[in-house]
Amino acid sequence: MKTFEKILLTNMDRPGYTGSLSDYEEAGGYKALKTVLGNVPPTDIIEMVKKSGLRGRGGAGFPTGVKWGFIPKDHPGPRYLCCNADESEPGTFKDRQLMERDPHQVLEGIAISCYAIGAQTAYIYIRGEFRLAAKILERAIVEACQAGHLGSDIYGSGVTVHVYVHAGAGAYICGEETALLESLEGKRGKPRTKPPFPATHGLYQKPTVVNNVETLANVPHIVNRGAEWFASIGAPPKSTGTRVFCLSGHVKRPGNYELPVNATFRDLIYELGGGMRSDKPLKAFIPGGASAPFLTPDHVDVQMDFESVALAGSMSGSGGITVMEEGTSMVWAALRLMEFFYHESCGKCTPCREGSSWIVQILQRILNKQGRPEDLRTLTEICENIGGRTVCAFGDAEIAPVQSTLKYWRNEYEALIEEAEALKGSRKEIPVLSLA
Amino acid sequence: MIFDKHQDTIDDILSRYPVRRSAILPLLNLAQKEEGYVSQAAMREIAGILDLTPPQVFETATFYTMLNLKPIGTFHIQVCRSLMCALVGADPLIEWLRKQLGIGVGQTTGDKLFTLSTVECLGSCGTGPMMQINDDYYERLTEEKVGRILRDLRESGDCSLKSGPFMVPERIVSP
Amino acid sequence: MSNTPNMLTITIDGIRTQVPEGTLVIEAARQVGVMVPHFCYHPKLAPDANCRMCLVEIEKIPKLQTSCSTRVADGMVVRSSVPNVENARKWVLQLLLGNHPLDCPVCDQGGRCDLQDFSHEYTPTVSRFKELKRVFPKQYLGPVIETQMNRCVSCMRCVRYCDEVIDAQALAADGRGTLTQITHWAGNELECDMCGGCIQICPVGAITSRLSMYDYRPWMLKRTETICSYCGDGCQITVQRKNDQLIEVNSALGAGRNNGDLCARGYFGYHAAVHPDRVRHPLVRQADGSFAEVTWEEALDRVARELTAMKATHGADAIGGLITARCTNEDLYVFQKFMRVVIGTNQIDSSARYGYINGVRALRRVQGTHRWTVRYEDVARADGIMLVGTNLNESNPITALHVKRAVKHAGAQLITLESLLPFRSTVSNVTTLARHHLTVKSGRFAAAILGLLKAVVESDLVHEDIAREAPEFVQAIREKVAGVSWKAIQAQSGLPQAEVEAAARTYAQAGRAVVLVGREVLRSLGGEGMVTNLLDLLILTGHLRRDGSGLGCLAEANNEQGAVEMGAVAEYFPGPADLHDEESQRTLTRAWGQAVPGGASASLPELLSRAKTGAIKSLFIVGENPVESLPGDADVTAALDALEFLVCQDLFLTETAKRAHVVFPACSAMEKDGTFTNTEGHVQPVRQSIEPLGESLPDWEMFSALSVLMDQPIEYGEVKEIFKEIRGVIPGYGLLGPASTPPKAKENTVAQYVKTGFKEDIDRRYALDPLSAAPEGSMTLRLVQSLYHSGKYSTRAKGLMEIEGEGLLHVNSREARRLGIEEGQAVRLSNDRGQASVSVKLNDRVPDAVAWFPEHFDQSVRALFSLKGPAPAEVGVDPQTHVPVWKTTHVTMTK
Ligand SMILES: Cc1cc2nc3c(=O)[nH]c(=O)nc-3n(C[C@H](O)[C@H](O)[C@H](O)COP(=O)(O)O)c2cc1C
Ligand code: SF4
Ligand code: FES
Repeated sequence: MKTFEKILLTNMDRPGYTGSLSDYEEAGGYKALKTVLGNVPPTDIIEMVKKSGLRGRGGAGFPTGVKWGFIPKDHPGPRYLCCNADESEPGTFKDRQLMERDPHQVLEGIAISCYAIGAQTAYIYIRGEFRLAAKILERAIVEACQAGHLGSDIYGSGVTVHVYVHAGAGAYICGEETALLESLEGKRGKPRTKPPFPATHGLYQKPTVVNNVETLANVPHIVNRGAEWFASIGAPPKSTGTRVFCLSGHVKRPGNYELPVNATFRDLIYELGGGMRSDKPLKAFIPGGASAPFLTPDHVDVQMDFESVALAGSMSGSGGITVMEEGTSMVWAALRLMEFFYHESCGKCTPCREGSSWIVQILQRILNKQGRPEDLRTLTEICENIGGRTVCAFGDAEIAPVQSTLKYWRNEYEALIEEAEALKGSRKEIPVLSLA
Repeated sequence: MIFDKHQDTIDDILSRYPVRRSAILPLLNLAQKEEGYVSQAAMREIAGILDLTPPQVFETATFYTMLNLKPIGTFHIQVCRSLMCALVGADPLIEWLRKQLGIGVGQTTGDKLFTLSTVECLGSCGTGPMMQINDDYYERLTEEKVGRILRDLRESGDCSLKSGPFMVPERIVSP
Repeated sequence: MSNTPNMLTITIDGIRTQVPEGTLVIEAARQVGVMVPHFCYHPKLAPDANCRMCLVEIEKIPKLQTSCSTRVADGMVVRSSVPNVENARKWVLQLLLGNHPLDCPVCDQGGRCDLQDFSHEYTPTVSRFKELKRVFPKQYLGPVIETQMNRCVSCMRCVRYCDEVIDAQALAADGRGTLTQITHWAGNELECDMCGGCIQICPVGAITSRLSMYDYRPWMLKRTETICSYCGDGCQITVQRKNDQLIEVNSALGAGRNNGDLCARGYFGYHAAVHPDRVRHPLVRQADGSFAEVTWEEALDRVARELTAMKATHGADAIGGLITARCTNEDLYVFQKFMRVVIGTNQIDSSARYGYINGVRALRRVQGTHRWTVRYEDVARADGIMLVGTNLNESNPITALHVKRAVKHAGAQLITLESLLPFRSTVSNVTTLARHHLTVKSGRFAAAILGLLKAVVESDLVHEDIAREAPEFVQAIREKVAGVSWKAIQAQSGLPQAEVEAAARTYAQAGRAVVLVGREVLRSLGGEGMVTNLLDLLILTGHLRRDGSGLGCLAEANNEQGAVEMGAVAEYFPGPADLHDEESQRTLTRAWGQAVPGGASASLPELLSRAKTGAIKSLFIVGENPVESLPGDADVTAALDALEFLVCQDLFLTETAKRAHVVFPACSAMEKDGTFTNTEGHVQPVRQSIEPLGESLPDWEMFSALSVLMDQPIEYGEVKEIFKEIRGVIPGYGLLGPASTPPKAKENTVAQYVKTGFKEDIDRRYALDPLSAAPEGSMTLRLVQSLYHSGKYSTRAKGLMEIEGEGLLHVNSREARRLGIEEGQAVRLSNDRGQASVSVKLNDRVPDAVAWFPEHFDQSVRALFSLKGPAPAEVGVDPQTHVPVWKTTHVTMTK
């Protein structure tokens, strides 16, 4: 079996590691923060992160250092950092592990990032369901404040960083950065139209950076070991470092695995994941969370970095890989994801709001052998009119499962519709809607 | 008044934000913890605390699916039905739970002990099928395990099978 | 600082144009005649870009962009009618129609619905949506609004309007995704400003009025643009009728001083005009005391004969006239001319006497013009706005919208001195927006204003120009305010020194600042002095002369401003000009072909007292109802009963009209042409929108007919001729339309005032009256203006009566708890004059130890009020201005 160096999961791999402050400090924690505060100018840290090639682990893969660079240099008022811990993308569960098992690693990343962008306040927007993670983080914040790693005038450097945990209450869309800001402002979590971008008009209309948990957790390591070291891992220059990939579905050993980004899906599924659950052949997999188009067994040797997956026609998104074995109905799989998107659409934009319910109904009908010959054309056109027509990227995400399954497994749709045609007249059409 | 005894908590919450309205979700969450659901009285009170109108609190509350605007059972069983859990047996589990509890999805048992809901992905796809009961996650469920969970909750109000900090895969095979 | 915006060049569908920087693409397109279809965009609202209907192609941007949220860039090339864009629109419509019930045949919006129109233009005739539609039950949002959420397109215009414009935040989106509905909250009955704005702004038929439900198809309606006859804001309304039936009232975006906004009275109050109780025929009292319907000839002849005889036997001054300020300028003008020329008396007054006159007198004295020196546009642009005793949301809701807009969208600093608390609820409350809110004890505004003056003088906020130009004036005030202690100010007004100083500082330092003064100042004893003191404040801070700064007095009734300007008040000829002003005497004599009478004038209290003593033997009362506008101990009935002959001209048989010998049926404003002058001084056209009811006539026609019968004809072929005459008499009057520039303070009047004029009454104005303390354990009971009513006229409007159909006693929840009472419970009020039993409504904007009762329903509590005292000392007739003040009393409240 190949070996891979880990970064983020190293501490917690040690037997007996609890994630407490003393465990973290013993493992070299908060060294990076101590090194930079007051010693390294913030702009140098931004430069360092730029050079490391670190890209966002939340889904869009935007270069983190570049994003930080958009914060206006001499803005007088407050700025904010929001740690995106909403982790709601189906198939993704890495942030939960990072927060629950090694909270201080995240906090140290937050503190350094705040220093780099000049923010004195950071909010960790955590999905409401993660009660345990929220509790662990709250406790860690108290510990870190008591030890002087957070709070006012850290280590006497004059730098202040307050970190607060803000729990959501059940809305996938609040992972979208502007919806997150709306939600944090106490409103319905509806995405904002951009421009203006959060870098200038973010939380409370102040300059704001939103970064994923995993993205931020990488920062102390980059500071400790240098941008060059980080940039040498993975598929430089564009995709660097490791990622914690979340493996789920029909595999023997589902779970989180940290791999350099240039590892292949085969490495993950067959080496680490132990291969297919019941030794049925692989039929399909989702390479980057529910928003990523499905891929086929032809793609298992693709590298998991952003570019390679994009070239293969999908995206590496949030790093959630879901595996499906032969025998799984792709129409059903698409419907399950579509039902998720229907349930989670915030309702702001017409195409997304109305389109998702229409698609769900058509898929339910097809699966129930009540499909009609014109359904596939309708599905295609609805998808075409959601993609690129909405305020946020949710619209592009929700059509991925339908478009990609139609692309690779159109025959399954057609077979179901043919069955329906054959059954026509032999039974009454019953509505199958279950939009609750 | 629901919040009277939580004045310290409220002050702490309010101190975290430069704009009062931001405290709306923390206060709604607190109200639900206190009463099991978010009552109209609670929304009115939150509006008063945050200098908002009740409709502003209401419209925020109705956006978020974790907030119940009606009373529910003591234990809110929320089973994930999203694709990843469904691939590993969520549907039969939901069916089984319905039979065990004798209620449909969205209903509450006669003794007001359990409410059964299905929810979308809870971020524990590698350990499905799974469910959340009140604040706790229960993962890698089997009928047998769920049977024990229901029994324990009925008897003692708690169950040791709930998940601790994320531990999966337990032993990562590193050569 | 340059105010000229940067102009950018943009090409839209091949048309090149220049627009200011910041313009939205959709607006730029409209300017060149390209209408981009849209639902969620509305010029009054911040872009939300949710409907995605307005997508356009912009060169160099790969994806289609929403033109409602994209601002133009220089050189931008936009295409709105290429296939890609049209296809996108088609799909947005197709998606919207998917869940739409397509119930156009029974939808009140059918025929003027954006969804219907765009569908007609863009969608195929066959629907591809063959699934189940989501179904919401129909809801009633309170007594006058219906919602059909199946028709909703989720554009959120209603919710956004309620929040951004009205600031009520009464509407909420309930739920998420396609299951989102618009509602109040959690099934509660809607409580809000009831402005009808959500109905008007809904682009489809999702929110409709219950008053006109299923009564019409829009194309059956005939429209008339006219002016609302409730408050002094003077909103332009569109009256819609189907044949003879009055169907609805709404207002057009971009029109009038209200720019499409209305309040509950304007939107739901239109049925007052067609109330079944209207007097439809001339009535003459019979020997047995009953009224008989007679012909116009008979009625007019009777009145002409009586008045001629009266004049011949007792002289012209045995006759007096009283007219309501709800009449048109033309009615008011002809009435005063009739009284002065045909009768030959100056004994006329109008309802401007109830308080508006206080402001007019002070403004004329200090600044030389009685009009506002600012307009709504200046309010919207002001850096600072100060409201003094206005109760603005209730008295002048549209002025309030301009204030809200200035504060919320332009960052104006708001200072409110009001006797109400800044409690936030789903009924908007402008004081919640204040940077400085000072809760003034009711009736103690004089002390609060002195506090402001003291703060300005003692905190070095006096403007250097005035300090240099009129040191004596400044010094005199300095000495005066030194004699009033902060302790005394706080004891009376309830305001601590620090708060007053902070507010005064904000006001003084604001670049452009507007002060608006309302009924709590105008309708109180010493009101004229208080307005004068406020003008001193403007002078001291340099705001009197500054462009965009000024002071405005708020007219509560629609044409109080006009009543004063038409000369329908005791102290003025048309103009208004002083009765002794020789120049105007000459002008009028020339215009009327007859010398103006030289006799004494008479204010309302004088008319009544002269009637009581028998000096006046006949009154001609037009649309006024003093019996119910004054408390019992004002002896109005005694005065009227002493008359030999009383003529009333009215819409209804009021308590006053019931005592008349002859009653003329008058037309409402909906049934006649003319003009009203709004509170800011805009003269606006009133147009007949329905046929006169029964035999009713416009007021002026009756005066004119009488004049002919009395052999001194004042004749006009049509209303326009009257207006022409008015313009001859008042030069420049009525540059109709909203654009006229406001007058400026007259330099020499101001100079004269600061030199010597101020001295005349400075001692009185700068002294704190010792006020009698309220009896131990009592509450102050005040009759207040409600947002849903205006005078008593609106209580005839069925829509408004659905909203507020009875008088409830408003007390705050602390008082209620203290007294152990709950909402809806009856309480007993009593004092040394009488008692009453009323039901309680909780209202947390009412201050402690105070109860409010809507004056429109005052019948049930009138017994508790007095014009004569003893307590409180804040009631009585103002010795200077004769304003009768009586709407405050002290009561004990028991369960
Ligand atoms: C519909 C939607 C859901 C998203 N959910 C998440 C999420 O749960 N967690 C997350 O970190 N990013 C999520 N994102 C991505 C964020 O918008 C944003 O790009 C990210 O937080 C930026 O952080 P990064 O640059 O560190 O990845 C989501 C985006 C969309 C469009
Ligand atoms: S009710 Fe009307 S205004 Fe409100 S969201 Fe729906 S369509 Fe828009
Ligand atoms: S009008 Fe532009 S998105 Fe609605």
